Amino acid sequence: MSAAATLPVVGALNSTERNVLIGLAVFFGLLFVSMLAGVIQPRYLFFLLSLAGMYVLLTMGLNVQWGYAGLINFSVAAFWGIGAYCAALVTASNSPLGLELHPVFGLVAAVVVSALVAVLIGIPTLRLREDYLAIATLGLAEVVRLLILNEEQWTNGSAGVSGIPRLFEGLPFDSVIRNFYVVLGLIVVVYLFLRRVHQSPWGRVLRTIRADEDLAEALGKDTYAFKMQAFVLGSVIMAAAGVFYVHLNLYLGPDDLEPIQTFYVWIAVILGGTGSNRGAMIGGLTVVAILEGTRFLNTAVIPAGVDVAPLRLLFVGLLIILVIRYREEGLLPPQHELVAGGVADEKGGGPDE
Amino acid sequence: MSSLPQFLANGMVFSCIIVLGAIGLSLVYSIADFANFAHGDLMTVGAFGALVGGRYFEGAFPGADVSVFGLPVSFYLALLAGMAVGAVVAVLTERIVYRPMDAGSIELLITSIGVALSYRALVQLQFGAGRRSYDIGRGGPIDFFRETLGIGMTSRSLVIVTLTFVLVVALHLLLQYTTLGRKMRATSDNPSLAKVSGIRTENVVVAMWIIGGALAAAGGVFLGLDTIVRPRMGFDILLVVFAAVILGGIGSVYGAMLGGFVIGMTHELTPVIPLVGVEYDSAVAFILMVIILLVRPSGIMGGEAA
Amino acid sequence: MSERLEMQIDGADLDKDDPVLEVSGLKKSFGGLVATDDASLQVERATITGMIGPNGAGKSTLFNLISGFYEADEGSVTVNGTEVTGKEPHEIAREGLVRTFQTPRKLEGMTVREAMMVGPQHQTGESVLPLWLSPSSVAEEERRNLERAEELLELFEIDHLATEMATEVSGGQLKLIEMARAILSEPDVLLLDEPVAGVNPTLAKNLAGFIRELNEERDLTFLIIEHDMGFIMELADPIIVLDQGRVLMEADPETVRNDQRVIDAYLGGAE
Repeated sequence: MSAAATLPVVGALNSTERNVLIGLAVFFGLLFVSMLAGVIQPRYLFFLLSLAGMYVLLTMGLNVQWGYAGLINFSVAAFWGIGAYCAALVTASNSPLGLELHPVFGLVAAVVVSALVAVLIGIPTLRLREDYLAIATLGLAEVVRLLILNEEQWTNGSAGVSGIPRLFEGLPFDSVIRNFYVVLGLIVVVYLFLRRVHQSPWGRVLRTIRADEDLAEALGKDTYAFKMQAFVLGSVIMAAAGVFYVHLNLYLGPDDLEPIQTFYVWIAVILGGTGSNRGAMIGGLTVVAILEGTRFLNTAVIPAGVDVAPLRLLFVGLLIILVIRYREEGLLPPQHELVAGGVADEKGGGPDE
Repeated sequence: MSSLPQFLANGMVFSCIIVLGAIGLSLVYSIADFANFAHGDLMTVGAFGALVGGRYFEGAFPGADVSVFGLPVSFYLALLAGMAVGAVVAVLTERIVYRPMDAGSIELLITSIGVALSYRALVQLQFGAGRRSYDIGRGGPIDFFRETLGIGMTSRSLVIVTLTFVLVVALHLLLQYTTLGRKMRATSDNPSLAKVSGIRTENVVVAMWIIGGALAAAGGVFLGLDTIVRPRMGFDILLVVFAAVILGGIGSVYGAMLGGFVIGMTHELTPVIPLVGVEYDSAVAFILMVIILLVRPSGIMGGEAA
Repeated sequence: MSERLEMQIDGADLDKDDPVLEVSGLKKSFGGLVATDDASLQVERATITGMIGPNGAGKSTLFNLISGFYEADEGSVTVNGTEVTGKEPHEIAREGLVRTFQTPRKLEGMTVREAMMVGPQHQTGESVLPLWLSPSSVAEEERRNLERAEELLELFEIDHLATEMATEVSGGQLKLIEMARAILSEPDVLLLDEPVAGVNPTLAKNLAGFIRELNEERDLTFLIIEHDMGFIMELADPIIVLDQGRVLMEADPETVRNDQRVIDAYLGGAE
């Protein structure tokens, strides 16, 4: 495993990439300095990094749908929530299901249920115009939230689920460090998986569908099947992010499924670079920077009593408008040719040739 | 009181709100060619516009609190103010955000999410996240309806239904009997053809945003009158409005009216549906929408699903 | 597959003599407007068949009906002896009928070479599992396809564009790329929708040469909509003339050129 593969932001950099990297370095430098100065607890820093990792996973999931296939999913929070609730209900001590299984089973349940829900929502929408999926997923998000809130006998309702076990209790690290490594591991696995499927004939068909679905159909590609695969794959990655979250946060309630969570992830995808996994990393980190930045504003700059939530909302809203208007390709657009097995590279080809 | 006729009466009121929202959404869909996810929050903007208007007009002149159909004159003025705010905000948004973009309908759709969040954030910054009301006395059920039909119908409900009817008829007359209406229909049928045949589509687009914005605002005010005024009211109702538009057939104004009626009724009839709790009223609208997508994605009044 | 096999046994050497494409009684109306009215035609194997007609004659609608992008109200389409009426476009493409579009959209973010590689059908690497189970065979297939793609780019004399972004090439070049990509998918019959519209005359002449070459060397069947009369009359035989959604006539170019009905149709359309 080369360093460039695991740390994809490193490598040949253009000016934007450098700026992005510098921006992030400054942000994390500040965090680090604040930690040394005692403003931020080291444990909290690692918690934040793990949270950022979770957003990176979510972003990669949405990237498969929107970035690769052009599918508009406004249900990110719901798929994340499905994963999170599956994991919490299967493993937690105060879960109404009373199973208290190993977290692995939580992951399995999350994958199965999220895939199933994705298929069910895909069937009526993926054959139609792309905006139907957007509308339907907006509805799905609400229905999932309502179900979790109201079906107390299964979900504990508004009381939420606690008593969720930590991951890898046996390992001799502090739990925050363990979580950090777990999410790092997840990111590497998902990244490598996505890189291979994206830079393959499969990814190429998806990119064609995104640009011109009729063309893909005319060339004999079953676009419905491809879109379904991308939708399910992305949803499962989101659910996995949810699974990780409950073991990080150890508590889960229906409020965590607020629609705004979905739009944080959208910001991450379009800001990072639609279709780009490196961009997804930047995007995921940026979201946490926004969340923590506004929280910091709240405690340090703005007088007490001012609600920071609408400011955050406004920031997210304006950011969406501005990115789509002025920099649609995002900060780090994808740059690889989608030819599998490095065939093109062997022949010395590339966009810059 | 919770008999079927009562649910139908409630359904009428809610249908009116959805119809007003759905018409504007459908207009934007057909003429500007994108799913406007900010339409729900535009309803919120209108509702808050009327809230401000109501405060301004309340007791502002002699006779402002004279009751007409059980509601003070100042409320009707506030409604007009809310509709004006809705129209102005819609047109300004189109000018500042959508028009300069020159983007595809999908990019516009995503942008509209940003617009929706911005609307709501601004409303919340100004008015806080709490619940508000128009400060109009509740007023009991009208005796006539209670005695003849056995249903509780307040003067608020009656005003909502009547005014919606007036607005819908006015829109119908505008579409059928004025030059602007004919141009709007032509543009919504085929925008490029309309342009080629000399229709100044730009004017039509502005007219459409004004009408859509004003009707959305009216819907928002009625929703606020029927329930309460809060920053998330529009976003929360957006799904139901979309369901109405899809049911009616995207781009069809008359379809939107019909769809809004059916979805609004279904939404309020949820308590009558066995095994489904009243807390799932939005879910019922959603399920209905999914069924439409499976059975007839072009909607009741829609043409070929492209 | 089995169906085709069966028919081969039943009706001797179907593959050579039976038409590659058979359209009968197709009808389609939009709203009240009849776009295709009882259109029937046959395209014989290894021919270059032209399709002409005044604006609004229903040529593009017919293409969309044949290739499955529109659903016909009535009538049937048969490709290679298999009825494909009501099937989805990709299913029809798999039966051997591939089409191009009048105005191809640009494939954002792809190089020309990449855009070409979408062409071949049934690629192993288009399924997710083989990417993990047999990456070497996927890579091997990619290498083969890349070679074929580059050969075709060379044949079309646009190999210098291979690594350009697909969004950067000219409209005419895009037409060439589209056709080359369609050929990569190894169709039995290729439907070209105005292949030389917006293409400069030199390029158009070359294109005619390529079509003839592919037709002669690979027995590839072409059905071509074209407004450029000089181009189509010289290249195609027979010519099918459409007017008002109907097949007006089918004949060799010379006959078509001198037919009074055709002249009337065009004059009528020009009014």
